[in-house]
Amino acid sequence: MVKKQVPEWLNSSLWSSSTSSSSPLLPPPPSDTDDHGGDDDRLPPLSSKPAPSMHSYATSPSYGSSTVVSDSRTKPPIPVSPPAIVREEPPKREVKDVRRDDDNGTSPNLSSGPSPEEISRQAQLLAELSRKVINIGELRKLAAQGIPDGAGIRSTVWKLLLGYLPSDRSLWASEMAKKRSQYRHFKEDLLMNPSEITRRLDKSSGLENDEAKGEGKGLLSRSEISDGEHPLSLRKASIWNQFFQDTEIMEQIDRDVKRTHPDMNFFSGDSPFAKSNQDALRNILIVFAKLNPGIRYVQGMNEILAPLYFMFRNDPDEDNASSAEADTFFCFVEVLSGFRDHFCQQLDNSVVGIRSTITRLSQLLKEHDEELWRHLEITTKVNPQFYAFRWITLLLTQEFNFADSLHIWDALLSDPEGPLETLLRVCCAMLILIRRRLLAGDFTANLKLLQNYPPTNISHLLYVANKLHVHPSGQSL
Amino acid sequence: MVLVLALGDLHIPHRAPDLPAKFKSMLVPGKIQHILCTGNLCIKLENVEQSESLVKYKTDFKAEVHDYLKTICPDLHITRGEYDEETRYPETKIITIGQFKLGVCHGHQVIPWGDLDSLAMLQRQLGVDILVTGHTHQFTAYKHEGGVVINPGSATGAYSSITYDVNPSFVLMDIDGLRIVVYVYELIDGEVKVDKIDFKKTATTTQASH
Repeated sequence: MVKKQVPEWLNSSLWSSSTSSSSPLLPPPPSDTDDHGGDDDRLPPLSSKPAPSMHSYATSPSYGSSTVVSDSRTKPPIPVSPPAIVREEPPKREVKDVRRDDDNGTSPNLSSGPSPEEISRQAQLLAELSRKVINIGELRKLAAQGIPDGAGIRSTVWKLLLGYLPSDRSLWASEMAKKRSQYRHFKEDLLMNPSEITRRLDKSSGLENDEAKGEGKGLLSRSEISDGEHPLSLRKASIWNQFFQDTEIMEQIDRDVKRTHPDMNFFSGDSPFAKSNQDALRNILIVFAKLNPGIRYVQGMNEILAPLYFMFRNDPDEDNASSAEADTFFCFVEVLSGFRDHFCQQLDNSVVGIRSTITRLSQLLKEHDEELWRHLEITTKVNPQFYAFRWITLLLTQEFNFADSLHIWDALLSDPEGPLETLLRVCCAMLILIRRRLLAGDFTANLKLLQNYPPTNISHLLYVANKLHVHPSGQSL
Repeated sequence: MVLVLALGDLHIPHRAPDLPAKFKSMLVPGKIQHILCTGNLCIKLENVEQSESLVKYKTDFKAEVHDYLKTICPDLHITRGEYDEETRYPETKIITIGQFKLGVCHGHQVIPWGDLDSLAMLQRQLGVDILVTGHTHQFTAYKHEGGVVINPGSATGAYSSITYDVNPSFVLMDIDGLRIVVYVYELIDGEVKVDKIDFKKTATTTQASH
């Protein structure tokens, strides 16, 4: 563990301001000077482009490129280098030929002064997204480096990564319509209260007689109830009985929804917008609980739901934003599918349960940083359950602020092996990054520190986590 | 979707020991939002202690009927019947639930007892859409221009001065917007029979004539 030399990754360009392209992990940021000059890796047709500077995208509408269908270009503000796909992927050259009007119709809403890496990443992502058939593997690699915040890219990418949207763009519209109507049916079936159900049944069986005549006098006629269905029915199959049994879960869901992210206006507060968002969250959770009687609702699911809904609801595309509830439902199911076992109490001690996942994290830490592991678990006896439980079950949404947790989710969702692997690595990285303080602390101090994880640079964190992947027996700091 | 229970004329312990067991098994807490009680619940513990023959009933009802009903639903509205010892119950009560105004009155004040026209007059006087009364120990649901009069009957099947042959009955109303479904629960030959009545409020019914 004695370090003989500074680890190679510490020398990477991430921490230096120079734009050296020596690091294989980062796409080399296009600098102002190398932009369109004679960079031989760039595609030849680009060399004829005019040379606007990096920061004046808004005024470069047409490119002289002959292979690009310039008349159908609808995103002028893209910086000049978009088709400059990352060097390592030559097959992307044909992207330019099939590039066409991109349907997501979003123009990158670049905030002032994004860093060069972000711009190129954004460009690559947009390029990838505008392909006819999207290569999910490529997308994963790109997303793992982080998705820029603007232009609804993230919501589209997440939908693709979670399998909600198929990789063939032409199928998007039909798939989305199908799923959205499916969700609508779920809602109709599951969210109706028994009064409405009986009313519908009556209407359909023609029992409904109009009481519109207010002048009539006389004894009201009694009619038979259908099926023994009355509100006090104790039959198991009675809709009323089931309704009352579900109220407990509904109350729990309601309580949690009201407590989600109280600091964000999007979720809490009295505005109608916040209320409608809360209603959407509630509906999604109720539908999920009713469709999954085995797992129902467990506290914490609302925290996993929140980032998804936030992203989809804030999609600049109007159509997507208004159907955010349906989209979020399916993506939520997908995200949770990898982690369902963590929420099932009976599985706690089993091979797939939360305890064994925590043990895996422990093992991972031991592999990478034995000294820290020993100090934490043996010397100070900080049982990983005390801190890792929340980290793992809630996918780190509670440890960082909202924007940071979105970045972490980019990395989690883009892992081809499934989010759990990356999650464990990120948790391990979190421990390694504060190792100095942990090694110096006792039980109380460490526990306090780990349960209130200090704010940290997320890119650095993800970088370290990534390194753990590459070098299983890496050196410690 | 608001569930309102209407019952009355229990006469415990004088004329009946308790609610029928089948009714009690159905009336569980957590389902009903309001209870309207027409009156004549009776039972005052001091009286029970004095009477030897009623001592055995004391074991069934350790507390007031009022308290038992409160465990089913905390929102309880009672009006005074002529045998109620509790002087604090009012003669009539008006409650607004959703889009409906409901009035409760025991009915012994309205003479002739059970006369629908007189009850209609009382209803117009109170200005309510639905009047819930008792005293006759017979279930009726009657509609007139001013609204609807519902008599839930006697929940224990206690005899009345009008008739001996009384089936235990009570009423549960499901108020959903402008529509009410009245479920009538009757104990006939030891079996609970449930019927329902649909009632919709139109905009023109019931001008408040207060």
